[in-house]
Parts: sequence; C-alpha cells; structure tokens
Amino acid sequence: MTGALYMYLTKEEEAVLNGERGEAAQIAMSVLVKLGEAYEADRMIKIQHAHIDAASYATIYEAGLQFCEKMVSAGALFKVPATINPSAIDFEAWRELRVPSEVTEKQIRLARAYIKMGVIPTWTCAPYQNGANIKYGQNVAWGESNAVFFANSVIGSRTNRFGDLLDVCAAIIGKVPRFGLYLSENRRGTMLFELQDLPVKKFTRSDYGALGFLIGSTAGTEVPVVVGIPRSVTVDQLKFFGAAAATGGPCALCHIVGVTPEARTLKAATRGEKFKDKVTIDLREFKEVKEKLSTTGDREPDLVAIGCPHCSVEELREIASYLEGRRVKRGVELWIFTSPSAKSLAREMGLLNAIEGAGGMLIAGSCPLYLPLSGWGFKVLITDSAKMAYYAPGLHNVDVVFKDTLSCLKAATTS
Amino acid sequence: MGRVSFKCRPVTRGLAEGEALVTRQPISFWGGLDPAAGVIIDKRHELYGKSVAGKVLIFPYAKGSVSATTVLLEAVRCNSAPVAIVSIEIDPVVAVAAFLAEKLYGKVIPIVDKPEINPLEAIKSGDLVRVDAVNGVVEVLRSQS
Repeated sequence: MTGALYMYLTKEEEAVLNGERGEAAQIAMSVLVKLGEAYEADRMIKIQHAHIDAASYATIYEAGLQFCEKMVSAGALFKVPATINPSAIDFEAWRELRVPSEVTEKQIRLARAYIKMGVIPTWTCAPYQNGANIKYGQNVAWGESNAVFFANSVIGSRTNRFGDLLDVCAAIIGKVPRFGLYLSENRRGTMLFELQDLPVKKFTRSDYGALGFLIGSTAGTEVPVVVGIPRSVTVDQLKFFGAAAATGGPCALCHIVGVTPEARTLKAATRGEKFKDKVTIDLREFKEVKEKLSTTGDREPDLVAIGCPHCSVEELREIASYLEGRRVKRGVELWIFTSPSAKSLAREMGLLNAIEGAGGMLIAGSCPLYLPLSGWGFKVLITDSAKMAYYAPGLHNVDVVFKDTLSCLKAATTS
Repeated sequence: MGRVSFKCRPVTRGLAEGEALVTRQPISFWGGLDPAAGVIIDKRHELYGKSVAGKVLIFPYAKGSVSATTVLLEAVRCNSAPVAIVSIEIDPVVAVAAFLAEKLYGKVIPIVDKPEINPLEAIKSGDLVRVDAVNGVVEVLRSQS
C-alpha cells in the first residue's frame, strides 16, 4: 500500500541522489526522497524560501550539532534564502543570563556552521516580522510551528510542518517532495468553528492565544475554519493565536474567514464542500481554557517573561511606554524577548533605555523556553503567551500564571 | 480468542518487538520528552513520568513544536528512544527523526500509521507487541488481560 518506489525524479535530482553533486547534497536529497516516498509524493517541487527551526542547541542537542557540522564539512550551502529561529542564548548577554559556558560553546559552534551554509542570521521565531520576504501562493519550507501556521494561514504561502534538520535539507536542495499542504486539495477547511458571545472586539493578544489553543487542541489533524474573527485583527494578535493553535495541536493551517487569503468567504475556505464537523465555542469554554493554561493561582511570580513569539517593535513600544516611571520589583526578573533586528530598532527609538531604565532586560535572538534556567531557581513564571504557559512547566520545572501583557507588567513593577 | 493483528502503512522499514506504552493523548516530544532519559516530562500528559525507552510507543498523533525531530534523534543517540512507533497519523516531524537516525547512527525505528483498526483500543500498555514495518503488520504477541 505504499507508493514508495514511484516518486518521479529528474535526471538532475537523480544525479544529486547518486552523489554527483557532493556528499552534503546527497545526504540532504536522500532524506527528502525518503520523506517523499513515505508520504507518496509524486515528485519534487521548488521552494523559494526556508525558515530553519533547528537553530538552538536546546532543541537539537548533540545529535543536531553533529549533523550540521557534518553537513558543513561535506560542503553544504543553502540554495534558497533561509532565515533562522532563536538561539539557545543571547550572543551578547549569555553571561548575565547565567548560561553554562558549555551550552554557549555548543551554540556558537552551531551558529558558525549555519553562517558557513549561508543562513540569514535573524535568530527569530517571527521571521514574518523580520525580513522573510514570502508571498501568497509561493511554496516555501518552514520549520517553527508558529511560523508554519503564519505562513499558511495569514500570508497564504504553502508549507508543511517541517521539522528540525529537514528544514536544513530543504534549504540545501531548494526543493521538497510534493505532498500535504503543497496540494490544494489538502488545504480545504474540514472543521467549522463558530464563536458564541465571545467579546472578540475587546480581545487582548493573550485572549487570542487562549482561543487559538482551544481551536488547535480541538481540531487535531483536521483543518479548522474559524468565523467571527474581525478583519481589524492585528498581525501581533494573529501571531499569538497561531502560536497557541500550533501548541494545542499539530495545526499548520487554519482558515480565518475574511483574513486568510484563501478564505475570503466561508465557501472559499471549504472549496464548496461540506464540513466533517462543526464546533461552537462559548464564553464558558473560553474562560475554562484560559484558567487551565495556568498551573497555579495568584502566587507572586519571580520571573515575568514576555515575547513568545518574539515581540514586534510595536509591542516593544507599548511595553516601554508602560514601564516609563515604573521600577521592576525587588526579587523579580522582567525578561522581554525579541529579535536582534527589532532590538536594534528599539535602541534607536529609545525603547531599550526605557526598558533597561526600569530594571527589565531586553533579550535578543533567544527564547524563554530555550534558555537554560537551572542557575536561577525560578518557581513561578507569569507570561502573556499561551504557548509559553503550556511548555514552561515541563521544560523549566516552574509553575505558570497565564495573564494578558498588562497584568504581566503590573505583576513585575511598582510605580 | 485469536491474537490481535492488524495492517498498517509502513513509514520506515524495519522490525521490532517490545512492551507497548499506549496513550490516547497526542504528544509534543519537544517540551514533552527528556531525550537523554527517555522520560515524559509534560506535566499535563497522562504519561507524565513514564519512560518510552525500549517501548513500542502507541499514540494518536504528534502535536506542538516541530523540534520533535531532534528530540527523538537525540533520544536515539542516547539509547532512550522507543523501539517502534504506532500512530493513527504520523507527522513528518516524527518520520524524519527515523530517517536521520538510520543515516547518522545506523539505527532503525520501525514506524507505522494508518492502522485498519484503532490501536488505542486494541492494544493496552504492557502488552508485548511486534511491529513489522516491512509488511505493515502490528501483532500483539502477549496480552496483559
């Protein structure tokens, strides 16, 4: 029942597979072909861009580092523009963040390997806000679950949920096997979500996160279609929604009617076919999921972490303006995560001064989930991100409080 | 009663036997599995604290972070990986871990999906299971009950 042996390869692709274009290309092609065979792809297709998820030593470990260094020594070079996810460390502030020097050393080795392969060193999980120039209808190969969601659901590019190291293989070859979300028929919305009495117009980014989490976990492997999200929804709100949807489930594509380019109307979202399932989300259910994202009640936090996914410049502006004239409480750390390029803009705009002046830290190119925190002994983390609220207890052995950005900042500061 | 045996789609090629570890909940391997120890660390998961090392891991599908690939690959490197995987639907992020494990460490993890019956009902944790990812057959060799 496998289509295994029947994927069509061009003469050039066969030459790559046979090692005639070097060992790195051969390894990358062999992994892509195996994937294509397993998923019954008919052929390979070109991609225009890659986003590398395998960026952090905290997510790829020794095995991933070995792979990347092996590929570099075998002559690997990226064929398409490739942005990259956050690193395990802030390259400029790892000492302050108490990162063990072993992790730093490994992360720097990994960064060197990627620079040699030709990566654009964005070190961000929000490439769509930091220089990834992709457009509607384009085939790309993106890793990072929130970025995959955004590329498919907000921009209307096409990508599967590609995992660590496969993204590297795809960037080297500039092609991927054609299956899954590269095919129009698999992009059809199959499960309808209707919102009942939810005050969406007043939703904070965190509310969008909670709603995303609920939809992602309910949809499972179906393609959700959501009606009732206003067209005024912001890019940052969609970022929170998508990150949480892709945490609650394997959600790579969600049709937000009126927002998603392929879902201008409900009919377009389903390509005129019937739904397999319909779900109504009411206020009670929504409140319940918000509560469940916290693992503790109102215990005093010792870490306030904002920026999962990375803060945009707009968000930094909002945060800096709140911090004006306030101080971070004694015994509390306020960590705000962003990309190196947004940090550079924030410096120029005076936002960095405002954040640091209040006693907060603006951490660039890293991630609250990747940073090794064992040197800090944090007990309670408060965050505005549903994604972080879900992962932090397992990764950092902390309790989590999930609140909107303003409440997080309030918990961090005194005036 | 005859032994339970059902057909599946082989995703990787290989053959393995082991004790089943079954969950109805999807798994996020990154943030959910400690790859060095092979233990589930997601406190919200019903398998929290359980070891997947050497087990036939049976779960509906993978969710969450796409770093599932490297977590599983690192688990293979540390000899803490499941010996085989049976899913309703295998995410590419899991399949690629097995392809790379073969390439980098010469280790094969048989993976099958699209089973003709629901394995989450047919198999219980503790059952001895054989996964034949060459012919696409899963068989319960010894049942707990």
